[in-house]
Amino acid sequence: MATHLASIDRRTFLALAASACVAPAAPSTSLGHPRSPTGDDGPLFLGARLNHGGHEVAVIDEYGSDRLVLPVPARGHSFAIDAVRRRAVAFGRAPGRFAVAFDIDGGSKPHAIAPPADRHFFGHGAFTPDGRWLLATENDYEAGRGAVGIYDAGKGFARIGEIASGGIGPHEVVLLGDGRTLCVANGGIQTHPDYGGQKLNLDTMQPGLAYIDCETGDLTEQAFLAPALNQLSIRHLAVDAQGTVWFGCQYQGEPAQRPPLIGRHRRGREPELFAGPGETLKAMNNFVGSVALDVSGEIVATSSPLGGLIAFWDAATGRHLGHRELADGCGVAPLERHHVLATSGRGAVTDLTPGSTAHIVEPAPDTPAWDNHLRRIG
Amino acid sequence: MRVALIFSCAVPAAAQDGAGARVAETFARPAFAELQKTAAAAELEIGALCTMPSAEALTKARGAFAELVPAWGKASVLRFGPLADEHRMERIYFWPDPRGIALRQVQATIAGEDESATSSENLAQKSAALQGLPALEFALYGSGADDLAGGATAYRCRFAEAIAGNIASIADELLAGWADGTDFTGAFTAPAADTEPYRSAGEVDSEIVRALSTQLRFMHEAQLLPALGADIGKARGKRAPLWRSELTFALVTAQLDGVRDLMNAAGYESIIPEETSWVPGAILFEIGTARAALDGVEITPADAFADETARDKIEFAGLTIESAAANITEKLAAALGLIVGFNALDGD
Repeated sequence: MATHLASIDRRTFLALAASACVAPAAPSTSLGHPRSPTGDDGPLFLGARLNHGGHEVAVIDEYGSDRLVLPVPARGHSFAIDAVRRRAVAFGRAPGRFAVAFDIDGGSKPHAIAPPADRHFFGHGAFTPDGRWLLATENDYEAGRGAVGIYDAGKGFARIGEIASGGIGPHEVVLLGDGRTLCVANGGIQTHPDYGGQKLNLDTMQPGLAYIDCETGDLTEQAFLAPALNQLSIRHLAVDAQGTVWFGCQYQGEPAQRPPLIGRHRRGREPELFAGPGETLKAMNNFVGSVALDVSGEIVATSSPLGGLIAFWDAATGRHLGHRELADGCGVAPLERHHVLATSGRGAVTDLTPGSTAHIVEPAPDTPAWDNHLRRIG
Repeated sequence: MRVALIFSCAVPAAAQDGAGARVAETFARPAFAELQKTAAAAELEIGALCTMPSAEALTKARGAFAELVPAWGKASVLRFGPLADEHRMERIYFWPDPRGIALRQVQATIAGEDESATSSENLAQKSAALQGLPALEFALYGSGADDLAGGATAYRCRFAEAIAGNIASIADELLAGWADGTDFTGAFTAPAADTEPYRSAGEVDSEIVRALSTQLRFMHEAQLLPALGADIGKARGKRAPLWRSELTFALVTAQLDGVRDLMNAAGYESIIPEETSWVPGAILFEIGTARAALDGVEITPADAFADETARDKIEFAGLTIESAAANITEKLAAALGLIVGFNALDGD
């Protein structure tokens, strides 16, 4: 029974991982992509997707063409990226029992990583700047607390320990500009694999942001929302040009309530929340699926697949800049100044600004369905 | 069936059907009225037990509880609207409760004889774990409950009476919420561009479809799986809801009946296009199959999960329930013209 899988069958997984294929270098025109020059050193994007019933992670270029496709045993979620060494780790979606490290350019064989039997991944992670340590948000579900697992990239990603995440249900983790402070979004929701996807503590949840010095393991700062917003689960994070953490939330309270879903936190201050226009807030349906900045770090993009829209915010002021509709859109990543690349469950790969939509790959029934997150490298 | 095809092409099914009005009239109101009636009856029987304790009165009070549980099981599929407001769902049925909060709080309340917990008005302001069926079950069936027949536990009896009264009050509120004239009922039964919280028949259908699948997943994940454990050696029947009263399977089968009745009330089989008209029937068949399997469990919930024969039936019911949930989110939603996105369906 899937919910009780202690770990994936390692041999099966390695067989799958070994079948990773590098997409043909020649430009692919079958899906009507504009162009995909070979030898291009432009940015690449990583996303998990469902392709004709099979789960995979894919590296695509800015033209939407596949550069690398790696089959994975179950639904993937997000990635830790070591841009210098051009390496990434794809995590399985919570309750994730697998991760896979791979060379973004397809140079070496993928490497399977499993969490300990009494932990599962939440689907997000980060590398330290030196590429040595992989940090992954994990569920210590018997104890009902969050953990950040530490894996040594130099030793085959052996897990050497963990640090407390500072809360329950840690979801996304980002590394701040100082290269040593982690910011963890503790979503606050307790889950246990014995109870499937059920949320076990909605009455007492206390979401928050935890800042952790990853060299010492010390919890250096915590930020919480106002008590009345204790059911506003902080899930996804991005860091702007000023080093401020932006976060996107999912509300677990009464559906008729419409609390703000976007916020930012400056160290040493209280978190600020931004509601935007009432219609946009309502359309987001109490759910933000992903948060990203543009390349300049001036504009925040937040996706709501429930609302089928990507909303844009001025990072300096929190002002709502507009939104673009994208049915089942969720993945967002920096593309250019004031542009993000967005992906959707209907196969769209789309260049968005607060005022424009340009499909790079049109949504279509036969195209791979992109899952929650899109990450950029380069 | 040319007419059906023209019908389905010309007018999107979701904009045409009156599923919300049918559900309100033929399922929601009767289901909540039954909840109200059985809760009030339980309050009355427990009150009689408190006034004149006897073994017979305790049996009657427990009998009333055994009527209340399936009434809740049926109605609980309507987990949106009035039931989602004011934490009513959790107040009637605080579950899952992996940390045993209800047990601890109820035991402490009974031990401390907290007088404020003996009026349903006060109880409504207290922890949800004290307010509903798990608390009432412990009061009537938990350790020491047999003393209720002898009258030595007067406090416990009055506490139980207050819980039943509180459930009846919440049921009153639910009926009021589903009555004509509320914003919710207006939007649910006649959605329009200016109604809230639903602005189209499609949004109402989405709510119904989500309720059906959520209830099925809840039944399996929150109620059956924890007690099943990873294997028979790890089975823990006492992690199942209402094992003390041996009403676990009565609850689950009533929940299945609620899913069936909600689907029938929505009347989808008559409005979806002919090529997918088999979908509701297939789902109903799965629900009936799961129900039959659970009906075949002949030993107490505390033991059933660790008994090979009973366990097979429960596991089979669980898989069938999961399959029905998947068919609802995938095939029924598609047949209704509701495109449920890959990301929107199951966000993280």
